[in-house]
Amino acid sequence: MTLANFDAPVMPGGQSRTRVVVGHLTLAVLGLACVFPIYWLYATSLRRPNDVYEVSPLPWPLSVGSYRTAIDEINVLRLLLNTTLIAVLTALGQLLTSLLAAYAFAAWNFPLKRVLYLAFVGSWLVPFQVAMLPNYVLLHQLGLLNTLSGVIVPNLVSGLGVLLLRQHLDSFPKELLEAARMDGRSSWSTLWTVVVPNLRAALAALGILLLVNAWNEYFWPALVLQRHNDVLQLGIRSFMSATEGDDWGPLTATAGLACLPIFIIYLVLQRHVVSGFVRSGLR
Amino acid sequence: MSGMFVEVAPPTLPASNVAPAAAGGRGRTARRVARRLGRGVVPYLYLIPALGMLIVWTYRPLVETANYSFYSWNLSPTQPATPVGWHNYHRLFTLPELGGSVWRTLLMILGLLPFTIVIPVVVGLLSREVRGRARSIYQALIFLPFLVAPVASAAVWQWLLSPRSGAVNRATGSSVNWFHERWPALIAITGITGWHVLGFAVVVVAAGLASINGDYAEAASVDGASRWQITRWLTLPLLSPTLVFLVLSTALLFAPQWTFPLIDTLTQGGPVNATTNVYYLLWEYGIQSFDAGLASAAGVVFFIGFGLVAAVLLWISERVTIHDN
Repeated sequence: MTLANFDAPVMPGGQSRTRVVVGHLTLAVLGLACVFPIYWLYATSLRRPNDVYEVSPLPWPLSVGSYRTAIDEINVLRLLLNTTLIAVLTALGQLLTSLLAAYAFAAWNFPLKRVLYLAFVGSWLVPFQVAMLPNYVLLHQLGLLNTLSGVIVPNLVSGLGVLLLRQHLDSFPKELLEAARMDGRSSWSTLWTVVVPNLRAALAALGILLLVNAWNEYFWPALVLQRHNDVLQLGIRSFMSATEGDDWGPLTATAGLACLPIFIIYLVLQRHVVSGFVRSGLR
Repeated sequence: MSGMFVEVAPPTLPASNVAPAAAGGRGRTARRVARRLGRGVVPYLYLIPALGMLIVWTYRPLVETANYSFYSWNLSPTQPATPVGWHNYHRLFTLPELGGSVWRTLLMILGLLPFTIVIPVVVGLLSREVRGRARSIYQALIFLPFLVAPVASAAVWQWLLSPRSGAVNRATGSSVNWFHERWPALIAITGITGWHVLGFAVVVVAAGLASINGDYAEAASVDGASRWQITRWLTLPLLSPTLVFLVLSTALLFAPQWTFPLIDTLTQGGPVNATTNVYYLLWEYGIQSFDAGLASAAGVVFFIGFGLVAAVLLWISERVTIHDN
């Protein structure tokens, strides 16, 4: 088998021209269909406020009027800051707790190891709607309702994170850990000087995945921040209900801003983002 | 790898901590016992942050939900909860909403399968010969909707599907009021969710197809098998683990988690409950009607049902999956 055929079965007739053309056409049509609503989102937001109802495919002349209205009506910059804070802290917290737990599972044998690991695996069987009321009551008792901490604190563990990092750690060369032990390093310093530097790629991929999830999270903020719509996702919602949903310019401008940071990350780290999600298996 | 760190050298103790010689052997033994106990504790120390969070925010509430389900309570701290036995379960099963919401959840899952199985497989098979840079650009575009926040997509789809001026109705000349008619609303919610997850499925299927060993197809074609025969009897069976994974994700992950924000922002479960699935029903009972008992009873029933469905699906997948050994 030649190298070129490595990733696909060789078919009778080989690479016929029609088949390549059909392949390109299929992917191009699907790609355009998938991107069109996103294009429409930005196209609408960039029309002049009077042209919002136009359906010409190109928004011309361009205008940032809708963005200005959005920034005037709801404090978009504050929402952006809050959302960034929540997403970054949540992702970092999940990454840290997952790393420590995965390290424990990969490096030691201890009583109840299997049961405890199953507790992480099984956590996705408890949908958040089932755990919602007791958590709501606990947040109330802790005085965390309507605070940003109330959104972050309940989400500081990720079963998926533990699973993925353990898989990576299990294939980690044990000789390195052994060597660190021979050097007389403590397990804590081994974690940070041997394990983490070698796990950088996996940690980065998982971190991006957790960040995107935390950024797009809707359920917890909607539950915890009922009094103020303090994050972008809720800001969009308040726009939708306040304007009876036909103030399309500012609405699409807010939604566009809410997606922009994720798209920028995607543009820069495209390959890592896709493989991070695909390899994650069951989220 | 057993006890990888059991033998880790203890940190050297500062001189002041060293027991005076007068304490003799007994002190040393005690310290050694303490040290050994200490080492046994180490993995648990690493586990504590994640495990503590998991217990407090996932498993404790599960137990509490089961407990709440036997009380009547409106979530108010000043109002005491009164025990009512199995009454909440009785109410749950006599109210009409439960059956309807289960049925609509099933419809949503069925409606998502074309997006997570059919289109990705067809596209994957048709585009196997596209490689390299072109392929990754197409995939990048197709994957993009998976990263769009559901509320942002709710905003743009509300505009696209707006009855009079929306692009969809203007392009097709229809006058459907998408989010205010029963079936169109259900179709719209399912379709938008499908748009979100399609890219993920396409990339997963493409990865699955790429990992199939080409030797089988080559051998079959040498034996005179047609292209279609190879696809039907070799490629698709070898792809079955990927497809099973996608069915599981659709039923247990996409249908629950991606539909919720769309329903909450676009239809609030309406019109006349036409888009209320079980996940939205739990939210309505608990957060909108403040009926903690009923919501908890529904949560318990739902948790058990969800677990059973997951177990059955996993069991079936063990049977139908063909592994490439």
